[in-house]
Amino acid sequence: MPSERIIFPPINERDRPEEIKLLLARISVIRNGCDLDLLLFLYRHPRTLLTNEQIAAFVGYEMKQIAQSLEIFIEAGLLARTQNPTHAARMYLLELNGPAGGDYKKLLESASTRPGRRSILEALRPGRSAPEGHAQNLRLVKRASGRG
Amino acid sequence: MTEPNRVKTGIAGLDDILPGGIPRGNVILVEGAIGTGKTTMGVEFVYRGASQFDEPGIIVVFEVSPDKLMRDALGLGWDLAKLEQQGRLKIVFTTRDVLRQELQQADSVLLDEAAKIGARRIFIDGVGRLVGGNGSLESRSAFHVLTEGLQRENLTALLAVEASSLNGNASASLPEESIADTVIRLRMEDSQRAISRSIEIVKSRGQDFQMGRHSFRILDGKGIQVYRRVQAPRKPSRDRAAAFDPTTRLSSGIPGLDGIINGGYFVGSTTVVAGISGVGKSVMALQFIAEGARRGERSLMLSLDEQVEQIMRNAATVGIDLQAEIKKDLIRLEYEPPQEIEVDAHFHHIEELVKEFKPKRVVIDSLSTYGSNLGTKGRVFRDFFHALVALMKERQIVAVYNHENPEMLGMNSMMGDFAMSSLVDNIVLMNWIELGDSFRLGMTIAKMRANPVDRVTHECEVINGHGMRVLPRALPVRTQPFSAYASLVARSPERRTRGPEGAIPDGSSE
Repeated sequence: MPSERIIFPPINERDRPEEIKLLLARISVIRNGCDLDLLLFLYRHPRTLLTNEQIAAFVGYEMKQIAQSLEIFIEAGLLARTQNPTHAARMYLLELNGPAGGDYKKLLESASTRPGRRSILEALRPGRSAPEGHAQNLRLVKRASGRG
Repeated sequence: MTEPNRVKTGIAGLDDILPGGIPRGNVILVEGAIGTGKTTMGVEFVYRGASQFDEPGIIVVFEVSPDKLMRDALGLGWDLAKLEQQGRLKIVFTTRDVLRQELQQADSVLLDEAAKIGARRIFIDGVGRLVGGNGSLESRSAFHVLTEGLQRENLTALLAVEASSLNGNASASLPEESIADTVIRLRMEDSQRAISRSIEIVKSRGQDFQMGRHSFRILDGKGIQVYRRVQAPRKPSRDRAAAFDPTTRLSSGIPGLDGIINGGYFVGSTTVVAGISGVGKSVMALQFIAEGARRGERSLMLSLDEQVEQIMRNAATVGIDLQAEIKKDLIRLEYEPPQEIEVDAHFHHIEELVKEFKPKRVVIDSLSTYGSNLGTKGRVFRDFFHALVALMKERQIVAVYNHENPEMLGMNSMMGDFAMSSLVDNIVLMNWIELGDSFRLGMTIAKMRANPVDRVTHECEVINGHGMRVLPRALPVRTQPFSAYASLVARSPERRTRGPEGAIPDGSSE
């Protein structure tokens, strides 16, 4: 079921780098800019019927990257996808009502402004971005959803 | 068949020109140039279905992002997010290529999504480019495939297609029109630097509908409001309803006038008070509505010339306290600025006011302002006035219309360019009469349908703090027979001093 709409507030304390890092550490599935931009795209288009190529074109990343991000989101229970391999296009439905929904909404709030998005991208840069425990968190997510 | 066979659009006014809605299963094509309101209409069609008629729906968009669509809809008072949460609406973002392929497959993911919520309506925004839009056989076939896919799922589909050639008065047929069951054209019409929106039902299979270009507006917090073309024939009952009650009259409120007009105006009658500016027409109108209030009858005064506060101040100068009557809900004053008046919307407003307030007396001040804004030469004004008269008669309202006649002294015609005196039951002419060094006020009942009328010019006066009254005749006037005059038909009568045979005509005192 689609998530409740968010009214984005002005920039505030939440955009501070340390806050961002803590948030990313909790979310864990947002590993890089592609993940972030894909999440933003899916938030604006919570129910999409598109091919991976089309999503890649809309978001502006290589198809391989997009495919990886989609798989991560699906495994984390953030995204649902129709199972119909005969169709090139799949229906994707963003689900932000899970346990981590509040954190995703906070991240989306931050990413809705230019400074906020830059702070997040900075925090995601290689060498800084991978919050400690990311891999462990991802394993936990997979285990909890019975997919790992 | 247990379900109704018409789909109500729920769009205010649209189900009146498409009586009862659109036959279920019809493929509705909404065409128009950019900014004409196609997306708004499509979204409202689905929103009303899901929120009012228990018909869940799907909205398919290609260019507009769903979050913007929801934001814009919220501005019109439609909470699409709530409907999504309730499982009564799905907004799907896709591309035309994908949709085309989807609808050609029996196991369409899109239609499967529609079935999951029991969708009965679908809106697809921007199908023109989906099917090519070049009028070729191929594009028609693509459109045909699209409609077949939708009908297979028993969806009533509203498809928006961009047709830039349809603005203004241009008219061009799109190839999709022949396949669609219902075709609705939206236009932005340019009229003397003003822009207005119009809607036209070009065709609708399986039903009768009101033809011609109707007006519509997109109202914040409400959505689309369609105003039926004022010229469109109303229900026959409206014209038949003028029950010709030969006894009930309403007092004019002018001392001395009721005696001249046999006790007052008949209910359901139409009266025009004509005279130059300043002659006392508005004072008469104020006394007319004040008299109604005194008798406990509701009165509505619609002014295009003066704002409400100004009318109240004017009333106070002739001893009428309108504020007190307004508080008692016996009088309602309405002011509408005449600039860029849109006749269909304006008539709708009056109609709604009359239905809601239920006045027995209505004053419209003034017809000449309508004339100067709508033009007196074409049919628009005449048809508007005709509809107004029919509305008032149906409701058995005594309606008084003030009309500014430009002639200061004397009158060559009763209603000038308006040429509508045949629609009017009573005509009261107000004239300045120059006697000595002053203008005196004269009133002549020029026409009073179904009443004997003497057509004598009576003197009137307006007294500060008291208003207008008609003065009694002080002396009996001796009348002369026609034979006492020459050149009567030539409109320059002269008194004869001698009759044709040299005798002074009968009745002459000379």
